[in-house]
Amino acid sequence: MTESTLFTIAFAVYVASLLVYFAALFARRERWSRAAALLALLGLAAHTAALVVRTATSGHAPFTNMYESLSFLSWAIVLALLIFARSARTPRLGPYLMLIVVALVALASSPLMPKEATPLVPALQSYWLWLHVSVTLLGEAFFAVAFVAGILYLASPAPDRKERFDALAYRAVAVGFPLFTLGGLVFGMIWAYRAWGRYWAWDPKEVWSLITWLVFALYLHTRIVMGWKGKRSALIAIVGFLAALFTYFGVNYLLSGLHSYA
Amino acid sequence: MRSLVKFFSSVKLAIVLIILITIASVVGTLIPQNRGAAEYAARYGGLAGFFTGLGLTTLYRSAWYLGLLILFALNTVVCTLTRLGPKGRRAFGPARTAAPQALAAMRPNVRFRLPGTLDEARARVTAALRDRRYRLDAKAGEGRIDVLARKRRLGWFGSDVVHLGLLVVLAGGLASGLGGRRADLALVEGQTAGVPRAAFQVRLDKFETEYYPKGGVKDWKSRLTVVEGGADVLTRVVEVNEPLRYKGYSFYQSGYGTDWNAARLDLEIRRRGDPAFVKPLTVRTGVRTPVDDPGVTSLLVRRFVPDFVLGEGNQVRSRSEEPRNPAALVEAWKGEERIFAGWIFAKYPDFGQGHAEGMKARMTPGGQAAGAPAPPIAVVLKAYAAAPYSVLEAAYDPGAGLVWLGCALVTAGFFLAFYWPPREIRIALEETRGGTELAAGGHAAKGRDAFQAEFEALFRSVRRPE
Ligand code: HEM
Repeated sequence: MTESTLFTIAFAVYVASLLVYFAALFARRERWSRAAALLALLGLAAHTAALVVRTATSGHAPFTNMYESLSFLSWAIVLALLIFARSARTPRLGPYLMLIVVALVALASSPLMPKEATPLVPALQSYWLWLHVSVTLLGEAFFAVAFVAGILYLASPAPDRKERFDALAYRAVAVGFPLFTLGGLVFGMIWAYRAWGRYWAWDPKEVWSLITWLVFALYLHTRIVMGWKGKRSALIAIVGFLAALFTYFGVNYLLSGLHSYA
Repeated sequence: MRSLVKFFSSVKLAIVLIILITIASVVGTLIPQNRGAAEYAARYGGLAGFFTGLGLTTLYRSAWYLGLLILFALNTVVCTLTRLGPKGRRAFGPARTAAPQALAAMRPNVRFRLPGTLDEARARVTAALRDRRYRLDAKAGEGRIDVLARKRRLGWFGSDVVHLGLLVVLAGGLASGLGGRRADLALVEGQTAGVPRAAFQVRLDKFETEYYPKGGVKDWKSRLTVVEGGADVLTRVVEVNEPLRYKGYSFYQSGYGTDWNAARLDLEIRRRGDPAFVKPLTVRTGVRTPVDDPGVTSLLVRRFVPDFVLGEGNQVRSRSEEPRNPAALVEAWKGEERIFAGWIFAKYPDFGQGHAEGMKARMTPGGQAAGAPAPPIAVVLKAYAAAPYSVLEAAYDPGAGLVWLGCALVTAGFFLAFYWPPREIRIALEETRGGTELAAGGHAAKGRDAFQAEFEALFRSVRRPE
């Protein structure tokens, strides 16, 4: 099967998973939730196959343009969802996170995103491309979990549920922050050093990664050392994910710099 | 001094600084950095001077941004150090006699009675804790034993390792900023260049550009040889992403181009009024070449541009590095007298010839007076070639090693802080009539649910050993 067929299958299965998730939520059927997670897993399998086929046919890492990296980010979010689905102890994470996945996959499928695989410019021909982008986007997927948990926290009226969302957001940050630091900052610096001879150039994309990172450092310190929990923590987690999104999209379209290719 | 330490040990200060640095960094991405004054004036009008004065246009090098980073570093040092002592005692201090209220205040805690002697109770507790990989310290008293069980003690220091790593990264950045230097070396094949302030040179042996079958550059490859003390010491192919490193210097493939200033041109000389006369001549830009002709003794190509345009004030310049409109400024000499000068164009062989004087008058100020006799020969630019050059960036960066070390520390610290949660259990065993009274409390900063489960299982097995 071709990559685009597999990708379309994944898209369809994700949409099905989304519908079943919401049905489970509104009908209060826990078993349906599990069926939705199973669908998500099937979608993930098709999506994985799509990424593998794309890598094989293009001969390079599947994140060198917006379409590819959106596809990988949504893949990573489904993975994060499946990792957290059980221990989150809430039926709400699944539907709302899946909503983000479906939105990202729809955006990737839209005609706005050119889909052809182009040969890599010399600067991108490096295994650091793999390490840098995949680990960063994986970290951002966990920030997406923290984001949804933060929103659910703010939207939820019940104190015991709030408690769970708060803990969930923290656990997601505890996974996402090290990954983002390693992928986005450390691997990014190593690669920049190899390709351009400088590990840090204050390029807007670099600075926005730093900003995202500082927001999550703020999240941890206000929480651990000053005991901020709940509402303020949730807000910082939300701002952090938005900063990550801006680093990823906004910088490319609104600010200019060295990272103009991806 | 004391209040200064207090000020710098505050996490509130850290939070204020993180917020300020974040805001400043955002501002620095909204205002383009390090541009020319004219661009700022066009963009911001009257505000331009204000922005420049505040350092907002070179923000990441401005004194106040660096000042924020320095305060942040001081804050991290003081804050981490002041907490190290208590943490060290928690992780490595000896067992102490615990008051019953202290144990009861810990979360989680238990209290129950065991049959048997103090030593039997101790053996049971010890076995259960060892099973779960706790390290034990004990303090024995009169009819009483205090056991201190700990594991993953390094986990207490995860945050300190992260903070230390950050400081090392900042120190590396400082070293790079103060001691780093870089220079672009543009070399054509066979050329050797000195490396600024280094006791060796590099020679470009070969430079190749590889293309994809459908066009587009695949890679640039420069074969570089390090020459030291007159001898070749090392040869390596440098590509994008594959620099050469030697004695603290790194050489990066950073650009390429064509050395049009040293172009080699194939000309054709024609004699006016004698269409059968065609004489080929190869010249180098800037080198006067003898011509065997009664009217002209030598030709000099003063200048060659690959993509001729007339810019502002009729200045000749090259619009690009591509040979889209190659043109040469040719001078004809008779003895020591320049008899004409004019631009000739490869794409427009007829243009320029008859206009040599007019062109010259327009474009080579200070040239010969107008109205001079028509030159006896015409020159045609038939072909042009120039060597490609490779731009290699030579960088000396004394901070990079520290930065990598700091990154490794930060990564290790994250692992410790988030995934190596330390545990501590304090147990007081007290001999009573016909048994032993056990009181215990646990402490975990992270993963409390998992710890609670472990704690409960542990004391269940102490109560009912299998
Ligand atoms: C942006 C830079 C910083 C980063 C990335 C960072 C990172 C961390 C991390 C990962 C932890 C452990 C969190 C946890 O266990 O969940 C931590 C804890 C802590 N940080 Fe920072 N830190 C930074 C700056 C600072 C500064 C400037 C201070 C100085 C006031 C500070 C004070 C603390 C304190 C007091 C803790 C408490 C936990 C402990 O003592 O173990 N941090 N930091």
